[in-house]
Amino acid sequence: MRFSLATLLLPLAIAFTPADAEELAAGISRDKVEITSNFTGADVVVFGAIESEAGEAIADGTHRDIVIVVRSDQESVATVRKKELMGPIWVNRETRQFAGVPGFYFIASSRPLKDIAAASVLQQFELGLENLALGPAPGSNGGPPAFRQAFLDSRVGGELYGQHEGAVTFMSGSLFRTTTSLPPNVPAGNLRVLVYAFKAGRVVSSNAMTLFVDKTGIERQLSDFAQNWPVLYGFVAVIFSMLAGFSASVAFRERS
Amino acid sequence: MEIYLPIAEMPVNVFLVIGLGAAVGFLSGMFGVGGGFILTPFLMFWGIPPSVAVATQSTQIVASSVSGVMTHWRKGNVDFKMAGLMLGGGLVGSLAGIQLFNALKAAGQADLFISLAYVIFLGSVGGLMFWESLQAVRHADAASPVKRRAPGSHFWVHGWPLKMRFHRSKLYISAIPPVMLGSLIGLLSVVMGIGGGFILVPAMIYLLRMPTSVVVGTSLFQIIFIGAFTTLLHAVTNHSVDAILAALLISGGVIGAQFGVRYGERLRSDWMRLCLAGLLLMICIRLGVNLVWPPENPFSVGIEAVP
Repeated sequence: MRFSLATLLLPLAIAFTPADAEELAAGISRDKVEITSNFTGADVVVFGAIESEAGEAIADGTHRDIVIVVRSDQESVATVRKKELMGPIWVNRETRQFAGVPGFYFIASSRPLKDIAAASVLQQFELGLENLALGPAPGSNGGPPAFRQAFLDSRVGGELYGQHEGAVTFMSGSLFRTTTSLPPNVPAGNLRVLVYAFKAGRVVSSNAMTLFVDKTGIERQLSDFAQNWPVLYGFVAVIFSMLAGFSASVAFRERS
Repeated sequence: MEIYLPIAEMPVNVFLVIGLGAAVGFLSGMFGVGGGFILTPFLMFWGIPPSVAVATQSTQIVASSVSGVMTHWRKGNVDFKMAGLMLGGGLVGSLAGIQLFNALKAAGQADLFISLAYVIFLGSVGGLMFWESLQAVRHADAASPVKRRAPGSHFWVHGWPLKMRFHRSKLYISAIPPVMLGSLIGLLSVVMGIGGGFILVPAMIYLLRMPTSVVVGTSLFQIIFIGAFTTLLHAVTNHSVDAILAALLISGGVIGAQFGVRYGERLRSDWMRLCLAGLLLMICIRLGVNLVWPPENPFSVGIEAVP
């Protein structure tokens, strides 16, 4: 597994927090999402509270900004192709690859991200779709903007990526929450739930949790079977297909 | 009713998938084509990853072909000798096809080649067949006697050495043309990712001059092997055969194929050729339009998980 820049810098950020650091407590409504045969997506509530060092809840939470990220670490390679007219026909011409793209990325914030921190800070923690580290190589950032945007649009369209500014709401002065919707096609694997508390454009506190997304039951067994015994799986698939075809023809002969 | 697919990692509507399987199975039983060239685009349109769509549709092809072949076999409509020769050629052809496919992929033009090959083959085969069968239908409607193949009215290639007798097809021809045809189909099925039924069926009718009734059964028999080989290949290399999706498609497909065989029997052979030609031309036009029509979104995105 690759550790992103944000992960590496997180301890640093905490270590350098000044004396007026505030305690951040956070939790998730469930720490496990099971993908069963009737899985059609799931909602997970991320909530928490910021407290002052003295242990008292801060009366006015609006001075603090909360950014919540739910993302997968799964490493995928995205290939973006652009069709161009070549003679009379449209042909895939230019191709760009983005390595190390997360399978799922959700970000919610209490205010527009640009009002919370400077672009350099947002980039450092990969906060916001435009600040995701997408590039030709894992961890790098780059590629033509049009291809990058095309990739992000396709993810947002598929509900696998989402940026919801203002979706973190304060229930009282210090209690905050947001809801993330995992779409039915969310990739199986662990999701990291990251909660950042910002003050005056700096991260003053953060919290990391893990949300397990896993196939269970028959779904789990079938995908394990396909991964671990591919030859046997293939033969079983072929034999099953043949038997199904055979039995249908026998059944219909008796009827006619 | 939705059900989650473990390999495709997404839910689908159960009834839609069974219905699609049944429709494609019907065409398969009737015309002797595998139907992958219809099934794959549909599955991809529903958002199923291309590798899963291609791998899983091959199981449906195996199932509906077996379902159809059993019925044709009982009626004596499968020429095993002919099929064996073509399969032998197909093995050689598919090995050559792998080389060709890798060369095209290295040149970065595999997609374009596949699309163009589809349009050219579907267009020319469909067009010729449409014209011929239209003439045949007209003649028959004019109450003129149906032209039957006179004994000995063979192509010159039929007179090549290694003559063999094919009882089922009522032919006494050289073994070389079937082997050559088989190897061409093998090559195309690897490069284009198809079973090859839509090329095989017209070729057996017009080039080998086999009776239409025997052609459908023999083509289906061959497609079983091509489909089984494709399934194994994808299961081993990509782990992309989705068992649940396969089970749904198959349950529709095997029943559809049974109805297809029955309906196909009642259809006169010139009408059957006309219908198949129409189907091929329709798909050709759709693909052709796709090639020349300005795309709504010029960008396409493919995601691959890194193991």
